[in-house]
Amino acid sequence: MNYNKTYQLPSLWNRISSIWYRHIRVYNSSFFSNALPPFLEPLIFLVGLGLGFGSYIQDMGSVNYLLFLASGIIVTSSMYTAAFECTYGTFIRLEFDRVYDGMLGAPISPNNLILGEILFAGTKGLFFSLAVLMVTWVAGIIDYPLSFMATLIGFICGIMFATLSLLITSFVKNINHFNFYFTGLLSPMFFFSGAVFPLENLPQAMQWVAEAIPLTHVVRMARAFCIPGQLDLYLLNDLLYCTVFIMLTGYLAIRRIKRRLID
Amino acid sequence: MNESAIYIRNLNKSYRGFKAVDNLNFQVRNTECFGLLGPNGAGKTTTMKILYGKTEPDENPETIINVFGCNPRHQSLIIKAFSGIVPQQDNLDTELNVTDNLYIYSKFYGIEAREAKKRIAELLSFMELQEKAKVKIRELSGGMQRRLTIARALLNNPKLLIRDEPTTGLDPQVRHLIWNKLRELKEMGVTILLTTHYMEEAFQICDRIIIMDKGQKIMEGPPRNLLSDRMEKFVLEMHGVDKDRVIGSSAFKADGIRHEFYKDTLFIYSNDPEKLSRFGETQALRNSDYHIRPANLEDLFLQVTGRSLNELQ
Repeated sequence: MNYNKTYQLPSLWNRISSIWYRHIRVYNSSFFSNALPPFLEPLIFLVGLGLGFGSYIQDMGSVNYLLFLASGIIVTSSMYTAAFECTYGTFIRLEFDRVYDGMLGAPISPNNLILGEILFAGTKGLFFSLAVLMVTWVAGIIDYPLSFMATLIGFICGIMFATLSLLITSFVKNINHFNFYFTGLLSPMFFFSGAVFPLENLPQAMQWVAEAIPLTHVVRMARAFCIPGQLDLYLLNDLLYCTVFIMLTGYLAIRRIKRRLID
Repeated sequence: MNESAIYIRNLNKSYRGFKAVDNLNFQVRNTECFGLLGPNGAGKTTTMKILYGKTEPDENPETIINVFGCNPRHQSLIIKAFSGIVPQQDNLDTELNVTDNLYIYSKFYGIEAREAKKRIAELLSFMELQEKAKVKIRELSGGMQRRLTIARALLNNPKLLIRDEPTTGLDPQVRHLIWNKLRELKEMGVTILLTTHYMEEAFQICDRIIIMDKGQKIMEGPPRNLLSDRMEKFVLEMHGVDKDRVIGSSAFKADGIRHEFYKDTLFIYSNDPEKLSRFGETQALRNSDYHIRPANLEDLFLQVTGRSLNELQ
């Protein structure tokens, strides 16, 4: 062994991606229990809601209900996976398993570590939205060629809910408090984002609320890639919303989580 | 080889009014094994974390922290690139096997895959874990996990090894193995800084130690010298003592002995074991009530840090 060598610091990208790599490896270590649910969940949704509701409602606006629903839940699954990862997952790594303590003993800065987390949550978001898409492709519900682009929206959605969830986590001292976040914030978001029913006929005030919700914007973008003729320039507003939202919550989350990593 | 590896002056750290480290000064020489000793809450771990930027010291223009020429305030990444750091709690990835745990950390250090494989094999055999390469962490004993965290900290061939309580909670066999490995590393030229509250550990592997209490340095030096300079050579311990009767006796007032009461135990210190056995024979009710032994670092430690518990113990 040579203990007199020169030392060099891995590049910024290598540091961030090594955190990402660690999460991927741990995630893959229980491959079946982690890789199956993303496929089962949309199946249950489409069979449950699609068959149940679908026999009463043929069309939602001008769109077939199954297609409407399928294009909506591409990003909701991405939202939930990123939110779970960056609340319970992050909290356990921070407080119980002390995984971060180990990482911060290696040449990794708190910023690198948090960015790695966000990147991984985005990747999970992409994978989960791809899983939904694959189910809908196989079932013949979505067949628009551009629909594969919706996975990118799944990635953006994952990043967005990673930064928001990390910000929430930075305030949480007791793991049970996440219940408030999931039932109090994410569940209403799920219903009022336009994922399962259109927003057009809601009262004006509710529409404003819906526009303020981050999920609404990714639902709209994902759907536009799945249904022919919906791509439009107004989607750039949604993209702008997502960018600003990610920058803002990301900045605050990094600042606050850092304070829990360095004392 | 005597230039200093770590140089600390006027180090302070307080948490909401509680002073964890109080104006600490010390210096670690290159390639020596240096121990921070003290009871829980003495500020050992805090001091250690400051060295690699996990904890930020109080702002103070007089503070100097120099770790191989780097200041952890701005250069903690560089410090961590040339150091091996092992926190107190084991934090291995329990879902993964031994090799994968090391491989993931090799990425953190930016080691190339082929180089990493070679290094991992080397380290597993160094820590005597080569048969466990493919075993999942949850199937390893506590001692194996501890050895693995040391192996993990050696991936980058560190010139500085920082180890918080290397053998706490381990059985004697593993403790001796770990001491042995730390000695080998020192021979290879690694500077080692460790915290411990085991006096035996300090005696076994540390070239020099400081004893800390309430954030302050109480004494400093090679363990052997500290002991011979500060303590009598022998101790008599007597249990179930009737305090009044013993204090009234003539043996108690003999020259060349020093005494200390703790609850119903009496400690008598002297350089002359004869005096101690005379004391024991005349004062103990039964022979089994006392024994005489050489003084050790623990006696010194208890003497300087006190026998009563603090609020963090």
